[in-house]
Amino acid sequence: MRWKSTRALAGLKARVCCFFCPKVYSKSPSPISRRGTFCVPQKGGDVISLVQRGLLLLALVGVLAVAVACEDGGGEPTPKASPTVLAAVQVPYPQSIVDTVGREVTMEAQPQRIASLSPAATEILFAIGAGDQVIAVDMYSNYPEEATTRQQLDAFQPNLEAIAGVGPDLVLLFYDPEELSDSLERLGITTAVLGSIEETPESVEAVFDQIRLLGQMTDHVQEAEDLVAEMQDRVDAIEEALADVEQGPRIFHEVDAMLYTAAPDSFVGGLYKILKAQNIAAGTDQPFPQLSQEVIIERDPEVIILADGGYGESPDTVKGRPGWGNISAVRNDRIFVIDPDIVSRPGPRCVEALEALAAYLYPERFE
Amino acid sequence: MRLFGSAARVEPSPEAAFAALLGRALWPRLAVGLGALLGAAMLAAAIGPADIPADATARIILSRLPGVSLADSLPQSWRDIVWEVRLPRVVMAGLVGATLALSGATYQAVFRNPLADPYLIGVAAGAGLGATAVIVSPLDYTVGGVSLVPLAAFGGALTAVALAYALARVGRTVPTVTLILAGVAISSIATSAMSFLMINNSQRVHTTLTWILGGFNLSEWGKLWWVLPYVLPAAFIILLYGRILNVLQLDEEQAQQLGVNVERVKLLLLGAASLAAAAAVSVSGIIGFVGLIVPHAVRLIWGPDYRQLLPMSMVLGGAFLILADLLARTVNSPSEIPVGIITAFCGAPFFLYLLRMRQRAVF
Repeated sequence: MRWKSTRALAGLKARVCCFFCPKVYSKSPSPISRRGTFCVPQKGGDVISLVQRGLLLLALVGVLAVAVACEDGGGEPTPKASPTVLAAVQVPYPQSIVDTVGREVTMEAQPQRIASLSPAATEILFAIGAGDQVIAVDMYSNYPEEATTRQQLDAFQPNLEAIAGVGPDLVLLFYDPEELSDSLERLGITTAVLGSIEETPESVEAVFDQIRLLGQMTDHVQEAEDLVAEMQDRVDAIEEALADVEQGPRIFHEVDAMLYTAAPDSFVGGLYKILKAQNIAAGTDQPFPQLSQEVIIERDPEVIILADGGYGESPDTVKGRPGWGNISAVRNDRIFVIDPDIVSRPGPRCVEALEALAAYLYPERFE
Repeated sequence: MRLFGSAARVEPSPEAAFAALLGRALWPRLAVGLGALLGAAMLAAAIGPADIPADATARIILSRLPGVSLADSLPQSWRDIVWEVRLPRVVMAGLVGATLALSGATYQAVFRNPLADPYLIGVAAGAGLGATAVIVSPLDYTVGGVSLVPLAAFGGALTAVALAYALARVGRTVPTVTLILAGVAISSIATSAMSFLMINNSQRVHTTLTWILGGFNLSEWGKLWWVLPYVLPAAFIILLYGRILNVLQLDEEQAQQLGVNVERVKLLLLGAASLAAAAAVSVSGIIGFVGLIVPHAVRLIWGPDYRQLLPMSMVLGGAFLILADLLARTVNSPSEIPVGIITAFCGAPFFLYLLRMRQRAVF
């Protein structure tokens, strides 16, 4: 399972990189402390030094402390980040960013020929109006429809020659096998690894960061900020509707018929956390464990979500499984099929997944 | 009987005399083996990731006997877990373990090769290719609630073995060395095709890999009927041929001179062993190591007489896989570990221990 370890490593690196933009800032009222912005140096070309970062961090902590103090004192909610302020922070090209594995990525000019080897990045690019700058996508980039008209590449068995062959000026990877990024850089192709964010618990926040980062890189800062605001509103609406829920229903999210599931520490698991659902896979240390059948029956999920509907599983097949007849979800007919693309892809449509799941879990609160 | 007697007369080796002695001593040790099998099954039925008291488990199982109702007060979920999930799993693991060990012993005997296991001439690779092809295909692979994966695996396994056998044919005979080579070649073709399918369908790699590593998480009573019709007759035939296999351990030519129709025996026994192994693999995935080490372990403990080696391999293979599966579902609870990892991880050290303890043993 080579890719798994690579991804774990990527996650580790990402954490180191993001040491200076810790989680607390991603919810800060101040736009400058957002991760995407923060990682961008003020002058083109060079990344800020560690000392500078440290100073900035101190300054930010100070600002935040003041902000928190104000909030506590005034009791008035701080206004949301206003996109215009962020747009003002935007830097002209050449610009450098630090990608999620801590590599410094420098773009000399606005990228016009992007090869996106990540379905999530493809969705984000098209959603923030950078679709015209995309010339190639990986073969799982099936959304939006327009993306499928681009040249197709393979993200899992990437062929250096094929990628270089489309003549990209920016390659986006979410998976970097055998130091593909280094090989691409040696060919003079700017490459950014938008690493696995599946391990991060605060999943939707991480998607927002990626949207902002891609907005920054492609010079669509305003659209990115608008998209984030819209998504945030929809997430807020759900959180608001569930404000008085103490504990949601017990759920089992089926990834495939071998009874693989999404544990709380996965991107999908993060969505269920927002919905306050009790994930029956809690207590495992892997993001995608294979559950014992008897554990599923014992923990008695109230709702079963099938992400393997495209592979022959359906509410009827679940009901027909021996020993499953007495599970609450089966007795009460609360088995639902969800599109695995929207639920597992850390892209703009994760809020669609969130809304669909909310309706499955709380039919009385959502239509 | 007469056959074996004449073999002993032609070649009065101490080994044959030893074997004759052992033949008389089969029943006591078979009783010991069956006891171990039963003990393993009871242990495995009592323990599981779901926290159910052992006495409740016993009551649930006993209440299945006609006229006994001991479990009415117990939660329905407990009854479902024990009767519909855990017990079929234990029985299936035992059956598959017995089948793989028996086929492995048969293969080792027919090929007179200590490295032979049930997967030597294509069962595993063929089954893997068949299963993978169905798993990655964009078509619905469940028809009328029945998964096509086991069927495809079964078909793939038999096709691979039949191909190897046909290709290895030289005139009217099938030399074992040629058969092994043909099997290895067919296996590598099937394996490469399978890898290609997996690589090209990366989203299904996890499912495919889990199937290949093998496991009993999805066992149900109904699946027993997919296996038993092949395994029972095959086991019956193979067990009848213990003496002939002893003769075959001489040289093929000598066996022929002693009146054994070597080609027919090879075809019959390999066919039976492959059929049984294919049926087992189709419901459990490719569980490695059982078919290789259990017969050797029996041989190291009790000697090489196939009249006792075959039944003992079955009994101990079943017990071994039941215990391995018990670990597979409890060690990492509530997650599963593919049982093939356990069989290799725990089986190999035990085997090495036996090997060191009984250095003088003959293969």
